[in-house]
Amino acid sequence: MLYWSLKTLLSEPVRLLVSALAVAVSFILVIFFSAVFEGESEQMVLYLEKMEADVWVMQKGVSNMHMTSSMVWDWKVDRIAQMPEVKEVAAILYFNGAVKIGGKDWFSYVIGISPQYRRTAPWAMVQGKSLPGPGEAVIPEVISQLTGVQIGDEIMLTDRPLKVVGLSRETFSMASAVVFVAREELGDLLEGRDQYSYIMVYAEPGVNAKTLAERIKQEIDKVNALTSEAFIASDRQLAVQMGAEIVRMMTMIGTLLATLIVAFTAYSLIARKKQELAITKALGFGNKQIYLAALSQTVVVTALGLLLALLISFTVLQWLPTVAPQINLSVRLHQFTSIAMVTLPVALLASLSAARTVAKVDPMTVFHQ
Amino acid sequence: MFKLIYRQLVYEPFRTLLTCGAIASALAVILLLEGFQFGLLVQLKNVALNRGADLVVAQTGVNNFVAARSLLPQLSRERIESIEGVVEAHPITMVPVIYEQAGYRKSPIFFVVYDTRGGPSKLKAGRAAKAPREIVIDESLAVLYDLKVGDPFIVADFEFRVSGVAEQASALFTAFSFINYDDMIDFFFDSDLVGDISNLPLLSYLLVELEPDTDKQYIAAKIEAVESEADAFMPEQLSQNDVALGRTLFGPVMGVLIGAGYVIALLVVGMIMFAAVHARLRNFGVMKALGFPNHTLVSEMVLESLIMVLLAFPLALLLALFGSWVIETRVPLYLVPVMEIVPLIRTFVAALVLAVIGAYLPYRLIAKLDPALVFRG
Repeated sequence: MLYWSLKTLLSEPVRLLVSALAVAVSFILVIFFSAVFEGESEQMVLYLEKMEADVWVMQKGVSNMHMTSSMVWDWKVDRIAQMPEVKEVAAILYFNGAVKIGGKDWFSYVIGISPQYRRTAPWAMVQGKSLPGPGEAVIPEVISQLTGVQIGDEIMLTDRPLKVVGLSRETFSMASAVVFVAREELGDLLEGRDQYSYIMVYAEPGVNAKTLAERIKQEIDKVNALTSEAFIASDRQLAVQMGAEIVRMMTMIGTLLATLIVAFTAYSLIARKKQELAITKALGFGNKQIYLAALSQTVVVTALGLLLALLISFTVLQWLPTVAPQINLSVRLHQFTSIAMVTLPVALLASLSAARTVAKVDPMTVFHQ
Repeated sequence: MFKLIYRQLVYEPFRTLLTCGAIASALAVILLLEGFQFGLLVQLKNVALNRGADLVVAQTGVNNFVAARSLLPQLSRERIESIEGVVEAHPITMVPVIYEQAGYRKSPIFFVVYDTRGGPSKLKAGRAAKAPREIVIDESLAVLYDLKVGDPFIVADFEFRVSGVAEQASALFTAFSFINYDDMIDFFFDSDLVGDISNLPLLSYLLVELEPDTDKQYIAAKIEAVESEADAFMPEQLSQNDVALGRTLFGPVMGVLIGAGYVIALLVVGMIMFAAVHARLRNFGVMKALGFPNHTLVSEMVLESLIMVLLAFPLALLLALFGSWVIETRVPLYLVPVMEIVPLIRTFVAALVLAVIGAYLPYRLIAKLDPALVFRG
C-alpha cells in the first residue's frame, strides 16, 4: 500500500514538484524573515566581536550598545589602564543615529576613534585609509556601492560635512552600518570632548575576565563592566528579541500556508485515485493501511518541500546578498528544524480529511465508470 | 463556458472550498506582507505628525524625528517664542533607554519627554502622566510585559508608575513612553545615568504653535534666522523624511518578502490548475475530438482560474484581516493595515495576472493531449 502511495505521487513528477515547490517557498518565506533578523543580529555585534576585548566598560546603568548612549570620563580609561590585571585598553566615542550619505539617511553606529587606539578602527578595508582624521569619515563599502559615494566625496553627519577617506568591509547592516569618524570630531558634535562611550579592556594572561569586570566596577566609580561574552550576548539578545514576535507570527502564517498546500495536494491526489483505492479495499486492505498511505503522501510532500527549501535557502538565499548587498542573511539549520517540527504534525492532521475520504470509499466504486 | 465552469466548481464543493482556501491563503500572505510594510511606514509617518505642532524645530543638519539625535540650545526656546506669530514653542526630548524585566527580556524604548504638548496622541487606558514619576507606556510594552495602569515600571533602577497606556505609539520596532521633564531630571540623577555626561540632552526638538492663519514658511525662515543652530520643518516634511528613512531601511527586505509571496501565489494557482487539467483530461479529450482548438480549452482554464481568484479574494481579505487582528492584538509593536487602497488594488490586479499565468502553466498538458484518449478505457 505504501508502495502504491509513493508510486501514485511519482507518476506525476511535475505536479509533485510544483506542490513541493509551493510548500518550499512557504517555508522560505519564514526562513527569510528569520535569516534577516539573525543576519542583522550577527552583523550588529560584529564590531564588538572584532575588537576581541576581554571586558567592556561603559556608563553605569547601560549594558548595550544598540539603541543606547553611554558617556564615561576619559580619565577613567587611564585609571583602568593602570590596574595591574590590565595589559591594554582602547576606547571609542559612539552614537547611534542617521548619517546622510548620497542623499539618503542611513541608520548608523557612528564610532569616534582616536589615533592612539588604532585597534578600534575598521578591521578590513577595501580602499583608502582606515583611520579618519578631523573632517574625515570611513564608510561601509556597501553604502558606497548603493549610493555611488566614493573616496573624496562628502557625507553629512548632522550639520558637519565629512570627506570620505576610506571604504570598509563587513561593516554594513540595515540597523547598524558602521561609520568611522575622528573621536575629536564626534566629541565636538556630542559635546563630549572629555568623554568616551565604551572602554575595551585587554587582560594580562591568566586573568579571569569576569573577575576583572567585577574589580573594575569596584575600583571605578559609576561604570558598568561586562565580559565581552556577556556584552555581546546582551546586544544579540536585544536584536533578536526585536524581531522574535514577527518571526513567530510569520512562522505561524507560513506553516498554515504550507499545511493548506500539503492538504490540497493529498486531497486532490486521493480524490482522483478513488477507483484504485476501491480496488485495494475490495482486495481486503483495511482502512488503517489506507490511512497510512494517505499520510505517507503528506510526509513525502512536506519532506520534499523542506528539502527544496533547504536547497534553495543554502544556494539562492546565500547568493542573494551578492546582488542585494544591503540584505544581511544568516541561514542556519535550526531555522529548518523548528519549522519542520511545527509543520509536519499540522500537515499530518490536515491530511486526515483526505484520509477520511479514502476510508469512506465504497469498494463497489470499482465497478462504476 | 460559464455554465461548464460553474458545474465544475459545484461538482466537488469540498475541493472547490479547499482550492479557494489555498489561493486565499497565498493572497492573504501577500496582503499581510504589504500591510506589514505599509504599517512600518505609517508608524514612522505618524511620529512627527502626532506631536501636534505647526512647525518642528530640530538641530541644524537633523532631518528626522525618528532615529536621530537632535540637541537644541536651551535658549532657542526663548528666541523662537519672541518671533511674532509664534504662540509657544513646546519642548520635547527623546531619550533612548533599555527596559528590562529581570530574568525575562529587554526592549529598547524611547522616552518622549514633554511638557505642554507632544505627549501621547491617543490613550487606550488610564490618563496622561501628571503626578511625579508617572509614565504612559505604549500598548506593545503593556502586552509584552503584562503591565497595567498602576503597575511599577522600572528603568535603570528608577521606578515609574504606569498612569496610562498609549495606542500605537511606536516606530522602527521601538516603543515610546511618555514622561515629564521633572521626572527626566530625577531619572538622570537618581539612576546615575547622568554620572559622566557633561551636557544633558535636555532639549531635542521644539514643537512650535503658531497663531491662526500665520504663514508657516515665513515663520520657518524667521526661526532659522534667529536660531542659527536650528532648522525648522513642517511636520509633514519631517514625517516624509522619516518615511524615506524607513524605505531605505526596510525596502529591500520587504521587496524580497513580497516577491516571495507572489511566487507562492503563482505556484499555488499553477498547482491547482495542473490538478484541474489532470482531473479533466478525458473531458478535454472529448472536447478536442469535437473540434475545440487548444486556445479555447486554455481560455476555459484561464476563465476558471480568474473565477477562482475572484472567489478567493474576499476570503483572502477576511484571512488577512484576521491575521492582522491577531498580530496587532498579540504584538501591538507592529501595525498591519491590510485595507489600504493602493496595496489592496495592487494585490488584486497582481492576483488576476497570476491567475492568467497560472492557467497557462499546464498548457503543454492540453496541447499534447491526444483526442483518442477518450476512446480508451
